[in-house]
Amino acid sequence: MNLLDIRNLSIELKTKTGVILAIDRVSLTMKEGEVRGLVGESGSGKSILAQAIMGVLDDRWQVHADRFHWRNIDLLSLTHQQQKDIISQDVAMIFQEPMACLDPSTTVGEQLEEAVPDHQLTGFFWQKNKQRKLAVINLLHKVGIKNHTKCYRSYPHQLTEAFCQRVMIAIALAKKPLLLIADEPTAAMETTNQGQIFRLLASLNQLKNMSILLISHDLENVTHWTNNITVMYSGQFVEAGTTEQIFNTPYHPYTQALLESSPKANIELPPKSRLTTLPGSIPVLQHLPIGCRLGPRCPRAQKICVQAPKTTNYHGHQVNCHYPLKEIY
Amino acid sequence: MLMFTLRRLSLFFFTMVLLSMLTFSLRYFFPGDMLINLSGQINANTAELKQLAIDYKIHESIFSQYWQYLTNIFHGNLGLSMASQLPISTEISTLLPATIELSIIALTIAMVMGIPLGFIAAIYHRKKIDNIILTFAIVGHSFPVFWLGLLVILIFSIQLAWFPSAGDISLLFEIPQQTGFLFIDILLSNSPYKWQAFNSALAHIFLPASVVALAPATVFIRLARTSMMEVLETSYIQAAKTKGLSFIQIIYHHAIRNALIKMIRHIGLQFANLITFVMITEVIFSWPGIGRWLIVSIGQRDYTAIQNGLLVLSIFIFVVHIFTDFIYAALNPLAREHNHGS
Repeated sequence: MNLLDIRNLSIELKTKTGVILAIDRVSLTMKEGEVRGLVGESGSGKSILAQAIMGVLDDRWQVHADRFHWRNIDLLSLTHQQQKDIISQDVAMIFQEPMACLDPSTTVGEQLEEAVPDHQLTGFFWQKNKQRKLAVINLLHKVGIKNHTKCYRSYPHQLTEAFCQRVMIAIALAKKPLLLIADEPTAAMETTNQGQIFRLLASLNQLKNMSILLISHDLENVTHWTNNITVMYSGQFVEAGTTEQIFNTPYHPYTQALLESSPKANIELPPKSRLTTLPGSIPVLQHLPIGCRLGPRCPRAQKICVQAPKTTNYHGHQVNCHYPLKEIY
Repeated sequence: MLMFTLRRLSLFFFTMVLLSMLTFSLRYFFPGDMLINLSGQINANTAELKQLAIDYKIHESIFSQYWQYLTNIFHGNLGLSMASQLPISTEISTLLPATIELSIIALTIAMVMGIPLGFIAAIYHRKKIDNIILTFAIVGHSFPVFWLGLLVILIFSIQLAWFPSAGDISLLFEIPQQTGFLFIDILLSNSPYKWQAFNSALAHIFLPASVVALAPATVFIRLARTSMMEVLETSYIQAAKTKGLSFIQIIYHHAIRNALIKMIRHIGLQFANLITFVMITEVIFSWPGIGRWLIVSIGQRDYTAIQNGLLVLSIFIFVVHIFTDFIYAALNPLAREHNHGS
């Protein structure tokens, strides 16, 4: 069963000078127990997409979609509040810079306690406090924090970034989510801590069958942990498929360029020479190209690329390009 | 927390030392005879003056003069008022509590009115309510306090006759002075008309306290509004939203406390401003406080009173500053720890 099924989701930003189409018809499906990577450069709209799924965008943003299903419930037919209630029951999110995402003036324990939903507690109100505390301690153990009393009493600034991220994951786990959206959970973290966090997420996925949408800008790192990958560029859908398909046979010139820009792909380059990159940089929101937004930077672009391409599906490998690299494999 | 307390106390101590040096130096700047300025004994004869010179160690070194000055302060021996020939210490002990009462009540009114309004404005940012509150804040801020005081007396005391215009209690009530704080004295007294006296005192303090409170309240509105807006933009509020907390829960549990932390120090700074307003308002409403006494003393060239009145008022303001620092530390866990190297 599809957990999340989004078809042609567009997000518009209302500004003083006009409406900007920040996300242009992106599709995303999540199955139960799946780990999907959502990859793109910074500014490609990954975080906005995640926030749109969570329904926490403020009223400057306008979201449209052709289909937005959560476990076969059509969310588009519900009011905004109902959407939010359904989503916040089963979907949790963790962010980059976990320390900034915890209230600096409240202890970690209190913040964990308020994340424990009421319906998990039984009994009378005087028993609930104790149960709540017990639930919090269990959560801390689940994310691998053994010294729970010390962590419970600490303020966020007394913990390290990696510990804060564990606490954030514990907060996310409190409502036993079916889907965890991890928005660059290890940005600005040391490599050893990154590994710990990813291993924790992977074990949660395997033990609790929790789906994870892993948002990252680092395609190579993500491939170690994901089953499927969706690539985005400048608010447009680029390519989606299994990790092997994306990593071994990328059909889209942008995905290929992403893979080629990594040091591993350039292992035979002579020392001190430049890595392969696409010319130019990601366009700013105010000056988006028409049609395929990669157009001005794409090595394979032709006249027709000023019209937006349609998504083609090759055995589950979806690509959004007029001239996919299918024939070279 | 112990370190924090010690730090604040040492700050308090050294500021007091500096302040006492400043008031000590005033004696060299006032015109007229220094001994008379210090003691306030304007009619002293030659023998008395000689005795005073010995008492104040006027012919000894500046250090022993300063030491004598400190000893006098600690013994409450502040000299006589040149205008009334009463001991300054008794005058201050009757007048200062009235000022403290007025300023604390005004500060409370300003905070209770200003901070929630500012929060509401921030929550409804760029909506009609925000604009209305902001307009009120700017209009209220531009009212000069002396003019507002007169206006309020004209409307509410003279035209409508709702509130009395002068003094701190109706002359009908006789309240024995115990602590100096009128409200506490009324409650401690065993007069049969206790509650009537209490009501009268409330009616008397309402107008001056409101006049004093208006300007700080408008400052608090704007401070609360900006700090709440900053807090609502932060990532922990965003994260709290994804937790599934309702908006009211987020405001109560996370936003208010952090917004208060951002503004509590500014409240302390505003207090010095508020005391200035209190002094002017005391003159307008004939409030028997130290501000009016000080302003009258300046008019009468009562140097003894000026010197000691300044000292006492500065100490009061500084004590309030230290107090707000403690509230800040109580609210903000980051401030409680010593922050070397961070």
